[in-house]
Amino acid sequence: MKNFLARSAVVLAAVLACLAPVSVRAAGPLTIAAAADLQFAMRALIQGFERQSGAHVRLVLGSSGNLTAEIEHGAPFDLFFSADVAHPEQLEREAVAEPGSLVRYAVGRLVVYVPPGSPLDLNEQGLSALENPAVRKIAIANPGFAPYGRAAVAALRHAGLYEKLQPRLVLGEDVSQTTQFVVSGNAQAALTALALMLAPGAKPPGRYWLVPPEDYPPLEQAAVIVKGSSQKQLARAFLAYIETPEARSIFSRYGFALPSEKRP
Amino acid sequence: MEPPRLAAHALGMRPPDAATEPMASPDHLHPCPALEVLARKRFVAGAAPGFSLEIHFAVPAGISILFGGSGAGKTTTLGMVAGIVQPDQGRICLAGRVLFDSAAAIDVDVSRRSVGYVFQDLALFPHLTVERNVRYGLRHLPEPERRRRAGEILESFRIAHLGRRMPAEISGGERQRTALARALVTRPRVLLLDEPLSALDAATKGRIVDDLRAWNRERRIPILYVTHSREEVFALGERVIVFEKGKISAQGPPQDVLGAPRTETVAQLAGFENIFDAEVAAVHEAAGTMTCRLLPGAVQLEVPLARIEARIESGVESGAAVRVGVRAGDILLAIEEPRGLSARNVLRGTLTSLEEKDFKVLARVDCGAAFTVLLTPDACRSLALAPGQAVWLILKTHSCHLLRGDAELVRDPDRPKP
Amino acid sequence: MNWQALLLTLRLSLVTASALLLIALPIAYWIAYSPRRWKFLAQAATALPLVMPPTVLGFYVLVAFGSSSPLGRLYQHWTGHTLAFTFEGLVVGSILYSMPFAVQPLVNSFLAVDPQLIQASRVLGASRLSTFFRVVLPLSISGVATAVALTFAHTFGEFGVVLMVGGDIPGLTRTISIDVFDKVEAGSYAAANSTSLVLLAVSFVILALVYAWNRRAWPRTPWA
Repeated sequence: MKNFLARSAVVLAAVLACLAPVSVRAAGPLTIAAAADLQFAMRALIQGFERQSGAHVRLVLGSSGNLTAEIEHGAPFDLFFSADVAHPEQLEREAVAEPGSLVRYAVGRLVVYVPPGSPLDLNEQGLSALENPAVRKIAIANPGFAPYGRAAVAALRHAGLYEKLQPRLVLGEDVSQTTQFVVSGNAQAALTALALMLAPGAKPPGRYWLVPPEDYPPLEQAAVIVKGSSQKQLARAFLAYIETPEARSIFSRYGFALPSEKRP
Repeated sequence: MEPPRLAAHALGMRPPDAATEPMASPDHLHPCPALEVLARKRFVAGAAPGFSLEIHFAVPAGISILFGGSGAGKTTTLGMVAGIVQPDQGRICLAGRVLFDSAAAIDVDVSRRSVGYVFQDLALFPHLTVERNVRYGLRHLPEPERRRRAGEILESFRIAHLGRRMPAEISGGERQRTALARALVTRPRVLLLDEPLSALDAATKGRIVDDLRAWNRERRIPILYVTHSREEVFALGERVIVFEKGKISAQGPPQDVLGAPRTETVAQLAGFENIFDAEVAAVHEAAGTMTCRLLPGAVQLEVPLARIEARIESGVESGAAVRVGVRAGDILLAIEEPRGLSARNVLRGTLTSLEEKDFKVLARVDCGAAFTVLLTPDACRSLALAPGQAVWLILKTHSCHLLRGDAELVRDPDRPKP
Repeated sequence: MNWQALLLTLRLSLVTASALLLIALPIAYWIAYSPRRWKFLAQAATALPLVMPPTVLGFYVLVAFGSSSPLGRLYQHWTGHTLAFTFEGLVVGSILYSMPFAVQPLVNSFLAVDPQLIQASRVLGASRLSTFFRVVLPLSISGVATAVALTFAHTFGEFGVVLMVGGDIPGLTRTISIDVFDKVEAGSYAAANSTSLVLLAVSFVILALVYAWNRRAWPRTPWA
């Protein structure tokens, strides 16, 4: 009987230990939800911020559309870094974001990415190199909701290639998956984010070509503070940090243009 | 390659017990008898780990009973003949054809052995009609031949009217007949029956056995019939092979093996220490008894009336041959002539020997026929019994069991014939 | 309501269920009847998709049939294109993903067949294969029905594998679950909701049919 009680106590303690982190989450670190194209840049920014402020930051990555849906339904994020401006604006309209907190922090760059050994001469032919029949599948992010997908469609339309290449398009959920389709050898080209080409230590094999920025509407990216956040002070401090020269140099190192130099 | 014959001693097996029915040594078994089985198997895992089987027997055509308690190896033996169980070592030979020979690496596939097997649970296919069950083994034949053979066997086992029924919709006896018909329609070279009739009442059993015997009269194939019922041994067998813990402890005609058991185990299995050939001397219809004369000699016993199947309308006639069995424990012994008893059978005799063993005394008494009587040591002492003494044996009519004659006996004469 | 996606999904489920049945029958037979001791490893392998995230499975299919793998190059050599982003690719992924849902009910129903019936069939001269088709399969019919229906329903609602290998091509690889996902991502909650209801209804009907079938008592259904 004594043995049984002792065992029950151990089991009970274990169960409580499992529940504990969930129930005390509200008082935890700063939680940032960020679009997939930020996955490498944001890690470097968080490192810098943590060194400077001593705070602890947690990062959640996803597509802008998905993260927006989650925030609308009460996800416990403090800050949201979108890959566009439309989603943060929508959150502001719906009064889910802290009013006046919207910041345009960077401008994304679209690239054509091809695997090693690809015969495409991108520098000479530009986007029309994609007409090469060796390119059987072209991966783009889903234009239904992914900002880079919309930019890719716009760039292809601008080059007059969209109708012709549409049967070869395959859609990734976000830029990460779009890039992955080429890395795994299933697509022969991808229109994706420059940010994913420059990650130190995680550069995908192959080559990329910058699509001229004037061929597609600018991929302005904005961030907002989530209204339900319990860490608004820390969130404001992070938004202040990304305006610093240190943070700006991290953005450009990872392939983002800055809002002030929209058309370099 | 080794010659496809294997002597028992080559397997390191003890020769068959010299005390049992003399059996032809392997050297005299060429050409094969109807069926010869020489096998050895040890079970390492499964239902009976550690169980080992070591058997050798040869049987002619006709019914041979494999008799023994549960777990003695009877069903395993059938499995070896059928090819479902593989012996570790040995040789199985059926009608001149080697089915299995470990030395020659011969192991004929189950499906090519031409055996008929009626499983203990019958194993009728529940999703097929009676007729389709019976036709199951005839796939290789052309359709008209299939129909002809199935029709014939259904007719001879009296189940033709059930052809379209499912096994779940017919009676136990009808299922037994279906299983038998399914096995026999393939014209097997050996028939294996695993307690197929144990669930049936005596009358149904008797009629099915009659049909089986009739069928085998022309075919003349060996039939191995597994049972643990003593009554069935006498009712059915031309031969009995007694299994005990994976070995054969005795074999021969039932009356020799079980009637004069040489080992105590066989005697226990047999249950009847006293078995006599007899003939009907008189029939007392009104009293429900008949008088039998034990052969050879003049001793008469009154036994319950039974009908003989072949003469069911007229009843038993005088002179019919029967066999009477009495358990040693059912006989009373007195040292003075008893009076005022209900028992009809009081025999005077001489005590020839006393043998004490394990708190039991076996007394042998000569009354013109030799009887064995079971006593307690206490009774033996208080009666001051000694060999040579005159004693009286008292047998109740219903302690005298009719076993087998030249026709089947039906125990319940009231049951109407179908 | 995206009818194109619904039809595509029905087609995918139907093709997957029938193809998987043909593949799972011999696998289940082997698992049920092989005397090999290490067959538990094969059983564990077929059950893996139960615990493996479908996205991981989809990713492996993507890598295994990509142009950088020998298998992918072989496939490309035969067909002229990679397996990813095609209907066949979805079928392959779905077959792997639903494997345990087909194999397990079959194994269970094979093992439920009285071994004496199998021995009886063999003694009556039938080969192993013939015994399988004449005795084991007819007696396992409810297991077969369960396997087919579970595979169908599981594929019908499948998401992760399709997301990974499909490439979201309308009419070809955009299944109903991907369509719901796209609609949620794009913020069209009403459209996502109506499509989800159809998905839910179809799945419920299929599962209800399976359980209704399995309630039927055996001896009343003469199959052969």
